[in-house]
Amino acid sequence: MSSTLQELQDLIHEKFGIDKADLGPNASMREKGFDSLSLVECLFAIEDKYAISMRDEDSNIDTLGELAAVVDKLRAQPAA
Amino acid sequence: VNGAAVLGGTGLAVAVTGLGVVGPHGNDPQAMFAALMRGESAVRSVFPELAKPAAAATAAAFDALRWFTKLQLAGVDRVSQLAVAAAELALLDAVGAVGASPGGDGTGAAGTDSTAVTIPTATRLADPERIGVYVGCGMGGAGALDLAYRGGPRVPPLTIPAFMPNAPASHVAMRQRVHGPVLTYSVACASSSLAIAEAAKAVQRGEVDLAIAGGSEALIVPGVVLAWQAMMTLATFDAGAEARAMRPFAADRSGFALGEGAAFLVLESAERAGARGARAYAHLAGWGSSSDATHLTKPDAAGQARALRAALRSAGLRPQDVGYCNAHGTATRIGDVVERDALAAVWGDALDTLRVSSTKSMHGHLLGAAGALEALITVLALHHRRLPPNAHCSAPDPACALNLVLEPEAAAPAAFEAAISSSFAFGGTNSVLLFRRP
Repeated sequence: MSSTLQELQDLIHEKFGIDKADLGPNASMREKGFDSLSLVECLFAIEDKYAISMRDEDSNIDTLGELAAVVDKLRAQPAA
Repeated sequence: VNGAAVLGGTGLAVAVTGLGVVGPHGNDPQAMFAALMRGESAVRSVFPELAKPAAAATAAAFDALRWFTKLQLAGVDRVSQLAVAAAELALLDAVGAVGASPGGDGTGAAGTDSTAVTIPTATRLADPERIGVYVGCGMGGAGALDLAYRGGPRVPPLTIPAFMPNAPASHVAMRQRVHGPVLTYSVACASSSLAIAEAAKAVQRGEVDLAIAGGSEALIVPGVVLAWQAMMTLATFDAGAEARAMRPFAADRSGFALGEGAAFLVLESAERAGARGARAYAHLAGWGSSSDATHLTKPDAAGQARALRAALRSAGLRPQDVGYCNAHGTATRIGDVVERDALAAVWGDALDTLRVSSTKSMHGHLLGAAGALEALITVLALHHRRLPPNAHCSAPDPACALNLVLEPEAAAPAAFEAAISSSFAFGGTNSVLLFRRP
């Protein structure tokens, strides 16, 4: 399990109260109760945590695994 | 005599079958009433960082996580949280299940696990399409706006749905799966009094079988407190004397303290309540609404008198039939005298038979939720035949000559059958609710 995934699980647990065990890399965030608006709140929090800027289409992501991959990719890029 | 005033109805009796509150004196209506009867003030010092000292009565004991998961709280301002909780408590009371879990498994405290809700409490009482939600709210989600301005570099994406003033009504409707009318009344300090009157009309006309009616307000945030301070309407006080800051009808009054909370009544026809064996705390027997049409913020005795007369007329009662008035009583220099003059104009020689108190002295001014909280207190006064005091009034102002309830633990006179609750708003809209013992 990547450290980013664990960090995202920690952040989501802290902010939204969802158990880490309940939110594996392939679980659907929408099925766990996120809607488009609360997901945007979540993305804002992730952006703030890593000082990154995600693309609008990233708000269509539904699993934490995909989200962690996007975060890792953005952090690997030099700041624009 | 006053054709311009809006009359209430005289048809079907409307029963109050459920009471719910989340406010400065906690979330149990009976415990709150007992505290008020003892004369206990919930006004405390707030925001010590402000240049000018501030005092308010907050719903400090409210625990949002008893009612919402953290995920559910995304974009839900405190004003909506309080409304959802108070409405649920009123409905549980109407079901006869306070202390039971929502969803009806009969264990644990109300709302302990909000994720376990399967059957909304309201739908245990009526068809979802035959239920209405009528909510008064003056300002909406003040906390969400304050956070947007001052919270940090980025505005939270859910600020708009959090602060819109009709959000509390919508959150109540979603929690209770209400499919009938879901309406919000924003009429400053008369908001929730009018919401209750409009709900009663809908019940009386048969538009709904069950009405969830009340109000919510949560504006104890620094920006709003500063705005009220700027208007010079808030009480001044010495350090340590916050609890006594608000002294309605007293010679030494200096304005009000803000309050926070939500209160809801469940209304249904007396016939329906009787058929399902529900307890009726009181009947909402009349209501009167009027406009001053004189000044946005300066109260007008003639306008208030029109609403008082309309309420009496719609209930078919004379002034001397009413034993208690839960006054608007905001403890401003001008307002209290105007309210006294309005009562004197309508009650005339019978003024001394009317006991009067402003319980705002203890729970502060809940603005959009004030009418609902004070209606609930008025209903409990009738139910228990006891009159809550007009606290902190050691020397009544001679210009406010009324038969004030100055002592704690006051019993009502033996013939106590009817009571009114007055709400007079900025904007000049006046609302009076008249309750009778069932």
